[in-house]
Amino acid sequence: SNASASLGNIRNAQDAQQIAISLWNNYVEKTPQRTKLIDAFMAFLMVVGGLQFVYCVIAGNYPFNAFLAGFSATVGQFVLTASLRIQTNADNENDFKNLSQERAFADFVFGSMILHFFCVNFIN
Amino acid sequence: MNLRVLGLLLALLGAVAALSAQGSKLLVVLEDEAEKSKYSQFWASLEDRGFQVTYKSPKDSSLSLFAYGEPAYSHLLVLPTKAKGLGPNLTPNLIVDFINAGSNILLALSAQLSVPSAVSSLLLELDITLPPDRNSLIVDHFNYDTQSANEQHDVLLLPSPQASRKDVKNYFSVDGLIAFPHTVGQVLGNASPLLSPVVKAPSTAYIYNPKEEFESLEDVFATGSQINIVSAFQARNSARFTVLGSVEALEDKWFDASVQLPGAGKKSEKTANKAFAQKLSAWTFKELGVLRVGSVSHYLNEGSQKGVSNTTAVGAALDINPTIYRIKNDVHYSIEMSEWENDHWAPFTPAAGDALQLEFSMLSPFWRLDLQPTAQTANSSIYSAEFKLPDQHGIFNFFVEYRRPFLTSVEEKRTVTVRHFAHDEWPRSFVISGAYPWIGGIWVTVIGWVIFVAVWLYSKPAQPKRQLKAGNVKR
Repeated sequence: SNASASLGNIRNAQDAQQIAISLWNNYVEKTPQRTKLIDAFMAFLMVVGGLQFVYCVIAGNYPFNAFLAGFSATVGQFVLTASLRIQTNADNENDFKNLSQERAFADFVFGSMILHFFCVNFIN
Repeated sequence: MNLRVLGLLLALLGAVAALSAQGSKLLVVLEDEAEKSKYSQFWASLEDRGFQVTYKSPKDSSLSLFAYGEPAYSHLLVLPTKAKGLGPNLTPNLIVDFINAGSNILLALSAQLSVPSAVSSLLLELDITLPPDRNSLIVDHFNYDTQSANEQHDVLLLPSPQASRKDVKNYFSVDGLIAFPHTVGQVLGNASPLLSPVVKAPSTAYIYNPKEEFESLEDVFATGSQINIVSAFQARNSARFTVLGSVEALEDKWFDASVQLPGAGKKSEKTANKAFAQKLSAWTFKELGVLRVGSVSHYLNEGSQKGVSNTTAVGAALDINPTIYRIKNDVHYSIEMSEWENDHWAPFTPAAGDALQLEFSMLSPFWRLDLQPTAQTANSSIYSAEFKLPDQHGIFNFFVEYRRPFLTSVEEKRTVTVRHFAHDEWPRSFVISGAYPWIGGIWVTVIGWVIFVAVWLYSKPAQPKRQLKAGNVKR
């Protein structure tokens, strides 16, 4: 890092780009398949939630309960998926000794059903 | 006897089929039996219209306005007395109680007999002021009868009274001149909305005391149309009290006298006193200007009950006068009004330019609507309105209040509850077009979740299935 600091800005930019690329490569190679599936789903949820929020800012929030229902569906689903990721990640096995993958997934499905029921009810 | 036969014949000739809407028992209070014959045509006209007339003197001990706590008569006619008062049975308090009990009174005054203080104080109760000089009368140097009062100018000849406003019905119009000899003028107070002038003096009249012969008049009590010759008072319970300034206007002599106004080119003509006396007594004794409310109904004007034109035709199927509505409901209100016409109830029409109004109010009106005439039966006219209830829940009243001069007062109130939306009455999200993006958002999330679950179940687990030994599992 001493060498890169003495060589100025251009070097830093190139280094940042290289760090990002190696970060991405490391992610693709080392992450288990199921975890990547969870991450893909979470990215999808962020896009859907973001689109709804941008629409709300542009076109107004009438009816407000509908906006809340739609937006909180994505946010709630994101939270549930995040907790599934935490519970099924191999690196966290020490914290979840008594929790099987199947149990985590069953909790995820149950929570998601409750969330969907709430959102459909709230939007009327 | 001859006069009586003549009176009966005249009564037959001028027979009017009329009845009072309130009752037929009429008490006439006069001091002498001798006076009775002076007004024989008037009595005949009253009896012909269905009144049962009782004649009593104020000194008569059997005279009583009340019997067993109820009014003994529906109507009272008081002629002026020479005595200082009206006797112990006609004190101002008793007469006021009589009015409060709903009965009508016609009080006649005369300038030739000084007005007793009991009568003055009674009229003061109604905010009618009499001149303080007990002997004053109304004098007019331009509207007097040249044939009988050429020097005194105290027999007034007035044209038919006009309605004070365009939108008030005129019940007292007659053809010809009315003669008012020796009239006691009255001045009406401003405070009371219950007082109405019937005949006002012309602008050239003034109040004069003939006993004091002054060259010019100083400090006159009232002049011009400030002076009322006939005043009408209608209490809140619609009981009527009329003050007639000149009792001689009811005499047979003046019913068909020949009179002539001063001035060149004026001809002699007959008075219209008989017609005026009939109209005045008809109004006072509730033959004219009496309104009645028939049925009041309101119903929900939505769904299967929408646009029902005739509530009686639908019958039991229509839910009339429910106790509870919801905000923003469409409702239909109708009220049936009749006016008494001679001897039966007839459909009522307000004067041109006037309207019957409905208020829908909680503390203050949220709606004030003109009621439109929608139907007519043989005896009544049905007025209705259709409107949407306000966006406010609470306890509301359908209130119709119609108070007009010379008409009995109408006050009808129906109370209903207006509730808010129930949990299942809100519009569904799919009927609100603005909610479509969010509905889409929810279902996109759900479908994405289903796909995620499907892919997860068919994918390889991240680590091999752990062997759960019995000892490891803590439940």
